[in-house]
Amino acid sequence: MNPALWLLAPLAFLVLVGPGRRHNAITLVAAATVEVIVATVIAIGGVDTGADDLLTTDATARLFLLVIDWAFVGVVVYAWNRARVDATRPEASARRAYLGIVFLVAMNVVVIANHMLLAWLALEVTSLAAAPQIAQASLPGSRGASWRYLVFSIVGLGLASLGFWCLGHGGDGHASMRFDVLAHTAAAPDDPWRELGFALLVLGLGTKLGLAPMYSWLPETYDEAPAAITALLAAVQFNGTLVLLVRVLQIPGARDGVAGDALLVLGLASMALSAGSILATRNIKRLVAYASINHAGVIAIGLGLGGEAAYGVLLYAVSNAFIKAILFLSIGHIEAHYQTKQMRDVGGLIKDLPYTGLFLMVGTFALLGFPPFGSFLGELLILSALAASGQMLVFAGFCAVIATTFIATGRSVFPMIWGESRIKATWHSQRLLPHLPKLVLLIALVMMGLYLPASVNTLFREVAASMGAR
Amino acid sequence: MSTALVVFVLVLLLPLFLASWRVSLVGLASQGAIMAWLAYDRDGVTTVADGVRLVDLGLVRAVIVPALLYRVMATRRADARNDVIAPNLVSWALALTAVLVGFRFAAHMPLPDAERPFVAAAAAALLLAMLVLASSERVFSQVVGVFRFENALALFELSRPEPEAEPGFRVGLLVVLVVTIGLARWYLRTLTPAGDAPAPEAP
Repeated sequence: MNPALWLLAPLAFLVLVGPGRRHNAITLVAAATVEVIVATVIAIGGVDTGADDLLTTDATARLFLLVIDWAFVGVVVYAWNRARVDATRPEASARRAYLGIVFLVAMNVVVIANHMLLAWLALEVTSLAAAPQIAQASLPGSRGASWRYLVFSIVGLGLASLGFWCLGHGGDGHASMRFDVLAHTAAAPDDPWRELGFALLVLGLGTKLGLAPMYSWLPETYDEAPAAITALLAAVQFNGTLVLLVRVLQIPGARDGVAGDALLVLGLASMALSAGSILATRNIKRLVAYASINHAGVIAIGLGLGGEAAYGVLLYAVSNAFIKAILFLSIGHIEAHYQTKQMRDVGGLIKDLPYTGLFLMVGTFALLGFPPFGSFLGELLILSALAASGQMLVFAGFCAVIATTFIATGRSVFPMIWGESRIKATWHSQRLLPHLPKLVLLIALVMMGLYLPASVNTLFREVAASMGAR
Repeated sequence: MSTALVVFVLVLLLPLFLASWRVSLVGLASQGAIMAWLAYDRDGVTTVADGVRLVDLGLVRAVIVPALLYRVMATRRADARNDVIAPNLVSWALALTAVLVGFRFAAHMPLPDAERPFVAAAAAALLLAMLVLASSERVFSQVVGVFRFENALALFELSRPEPEAEPGFRVGLLVVLVVTIGLARWYLRTLTPAGDAPAPEAP
């Protein structure tokens, strides 16, 4: 039995029976906990019995299973706590809990899929499960954001499916749909179908990642959705999409043509656009959303370079999953406390909400790429690979944008932590328990910058090697 | 190019020039029906996968999608006029250019002769769907754009016979399409103003 099925069996049962009517959030926490335990055993234990026609537990799958399942458990514990405090919150609804389980199952399938169509179908299911959760009855604007998210998802994934169709047309016209077979298939020189296929895949999956030019859905969606859903999209779905893009780039010759250059150009354009928006925004959720576009740009540049940048990209992507989960969940607490997302109205968090303030502060340092976080090391490795590849124009643009983002973010966020608040809100003193998942994610972030256990480091190295690193 | 594909291209274009939501729905229904006929004419129904594809094209796309959208628009007492692209010469020229680009694309790509007309029509359909999605602000027009886009992808798939099509995947694709229809209907109902009510915030 393929060990990947261990992940799916308990969840498939939950999908079939549905969560209980009275204990929705706790059912989701239980499902996520089972999932994270199984994923950790598979990843750390190095359980890999090879790939079959549909599923695989190769290094890429094992590494990203760890990431998405740990991030997911952090998000659902937050949702459970919100539902416990206020039973009228959207997180308490049975429908949302059910969609959450469907999302979790589909996202795990995306990561362990060895078949193009299966991975694509599962990613589409995650979008269909996420879209209704973005809409909130109390916020009419959120329905529009939810619809926009769905339209962009359909278009992005449609272009990606067309990309897979074009890849199938390449070579002798009977290319395999299995990722493991494609990863060992020699590149056909000057094949226009393959070239077009890779370009469409970059554009389509780039849309789901929030890369320019089709990024406009992202700030609005992240802003309007409940904090838990924003964190799911930013930390979990983003990495599921990234897995699909990594698998495409593992195919020999994928980044030799238009796709490689497109990743560099789209990456730099996304970074530049997001830096301008970070300067202009006064809304904390939008700021972190624009920072997500910025990170997608950095990751795209690293993926476009491949080779020596691969290890850095992985470190950066995994760090960012945890950073975004920490930040969006902290923003959820801030929004609930002050009833605003405007940064100038919030201040003195470190005194008012000490745990939230602390996580916002440390998360912002990690977001900006400070040491000792994994994002610092990842960014450094990508920059050194850029310099080594001789792409000095991209290097200069990269540094300029990072510096702008650094100043703009610090200028807006740090007064929230230490400044004076315009809104006086009273709340019970904060308990540590609801913040424990964020603490676990934070420890993982620091470890990625300082010390990685040998088994996890081996995973990173294996995936980097499959992306061309020596 | 077969007569069916010529008619397909015509039903892609005509609703863009006739500004009526009913015509747009007839266009969607016709696209589904023509694709179902093309699939049946070429492959018949010899496998489970063929049967599922015929249900997808001939029932879901040709009947269920337009019928559900019609019901929503009728119950909302929507104004008869609905432009899916801006009603001006630039938009119409862009639409015709999209069709030409689609055909030039198919002419330049290495393809078996039997597949070329399919790919030409599918590429034109895809570009027109993108034009509709890019230029429309009303939710109904965007929903039409989404289903035009889905139909274009289905025609691309139809262009090449699949020797080992898995029925499981076909069912999966059909389920995803049905859920998409359900969601699109929900958004159309909640985001489209009823009768003379003021327009909600454009998504």
